[in-house]
Amino acid sequence: MRRQVHAELKKFRTIWSTWLILGITAFLVGALTSVIAFAPHGRGRRAVLFPAQGTARWFDSIFSTLSISLTLALVLGILCMTGEYRHKTITPTYLAEPRRGRVVISKLLASGVGGAAVAVAGGAVALVFGFGVVGGGIGTVGRMLTEYRHVFPGVLVAAILYALYGVGLGALLKNQVVAIIVGLGVTVIVEPILVGVVPSVGRWLPGQLADALQSVTASANGIGSGSTNLVTWWEGGLGLLGYGIVLAAAGALTTLRTDVT
Amino acid sequence: MVTGFLGPNGAGKTTTLRMLLGLVAPTSGGALVNGVAYHDLPDPTRAVGGVLEASGFHPAGTARNHLRVVATVSGIDYGRVDEVLELVGLGSDRDRKVGGFSLGMRQRLELARALLGDPQVLILDEPANGLDPQGIAWMRGFLRWYATQGRVVLVSSHLLAEAAQTVDRVIILAGGRLVADGRLDELLQGATTTVRVRTPDAARLVRVLEQAAATGSVEHAPTSVRLEDADVVVAEGTTPEVVGPLIAREAIVVYEMTSSGESLEQLFFELTEGVDRGGRPMGQPPAPNAPFPGGPDEGVASTP
Repeated sequence: MRRQVHAELKKFRTIWSTWLILGITAFLVGALTSVIAFAPHGRGRRAVLFPAQGTARWFDSIFSTLSISLTLALVLGILCMTGEYRHKTITPTYLAEPRRGRVVISKLLASGVGGAAVAVAGGAVALVFGFGVVGGGIGTVGRMLTEYRHVFPGVLVAAILYALYGVGLGALLKNQVVAIIVGLGVTVIVEPILVGVVPSVGRWLPGQLADALQSVTASANGIGSGSTNLVTWWEGGLGLLGYGIVLAAAGALTTLRTDVT
Repeated sequence: MVTGFLGPNGAGKTTTLRMLLGLVAPTSGGALVNGVAYHDLPDPTRAVGGVLEASGFHPAGTARNHLRVVATVSGIDYGRVDEVLELVGLGSDRDRKVGGFSLGMRQRLELARALLGDPQVLILDEPANGLDPQGIAWMRGFLRWYATQGRVVLVSSHLLAEAAQTVDRVIILAGGRLVADGRLDELLQGATTTVRVRTPDAARLVRVLEQAAATGSVEHAPTSVRLEDADVVVAEGTTPEVVGPLIAREAIVVYEMTSSGESLEQLFFELTEGVDRGGRPMGQPPAPNAPFPGGPDEGVASTP
């Protein structure tokens, strides 16, 4: 099993899409933090999104951009599984390890590492940015680091679990394009609708679970969706982990058992 | 021992080989290697090497990295990766991206992957596909050599002339059924041949042979005798060992006697007749001077 996980990590390192995902994460975090940090701060309702510079809420707002890592970790997990079918590398993979369930487990473990790397890539850019603005005379290092600690650990754990969720989606759907459309579609379209229409169901969807998980460290200022209808943080973590494991198991028992031709 | 796995398109060759390698699940029954199903082999890469068509490579990865990933899974050290790349002639291309490889180079890389574990059994599906003539000759030599190392080689092919030069034993499949299984020389030995004799006394030889066939006085008497030319007699379904003594007994002058043994190709056609292409007969080829269908001569009104 160790060898399989090593091999999966080696695939991550040698495939350019991994580096592209890390690069996009870093770029998006950099771009979004800049926009949020330097947008003219508003009054009233606008103050929620663009608070006054240097305040705790301002730092919170900047670091909330790290949530973008989750989406990219999801894509990384999906590519990890479906890329094998797309490039037909699944044949050599199964020849070397014919027990397909073990292949999926090693992909789950390796993708967890990959998801963490995505969060770290975004987190590093946000941290550099934070030090940059403090160096520029806005806020204090202490306040910046406090708010960073509120946000980053939650994002890190959520990104790891999102990557597992991606592997699960990929294992069940097998087709790369379909898996990405479903994964992003759930996040962007299905989830907001369900949260609004059937909140009792909506709170158990991945994005809401991630918000719940992150709320354990997030400050009282509230980040993310700001929803008050969240499950507890540990329910969020377990629920998100459940998505990955249940989908991957379902995939291993159904789609992945089909013939490789 | 090199075993050839032959059959027309759609006979089930690839499916059978993929079943052996655990990639395709049989509807019923099982496929065993050394008495064990592939997924129960403790160390599959070292026991069996599979060279398959449509096996993929990440186009952006280098040849070396592709093999290193497989080596990592199987616990094989990276020195072996360079060794097998050298062996298949990709030593100088090992750091190139596989996306830029020709079909023949991919085929070699696929072979290198199968050889990583130095397997006892090598299973190859159409390994000559995409190879140039030198590559095909090299592959033939390689498979013969591998077999002499006390290994087992099972190779599917639709190139019969190529297979005839490579294999010791043939298994022929047609329409999903086994139609022949045995040593190639034995399968061809029992087969009939055509004997042609050039003689000034053709008419007498025809009578002698026909008489032998009619009376059944000798074994393997010809099944048909005809006069191909004024001085050439063709006897089918017999052997020179039958015709020769008859000629001597009758003291017939002979200028030339040749026999054409049955080839693997003829044997193949006989065995797969009717079930060829999964029962779908091929269309008749057009006559040599027929206009090309849809060509300029057809459908275009000619103006006088």
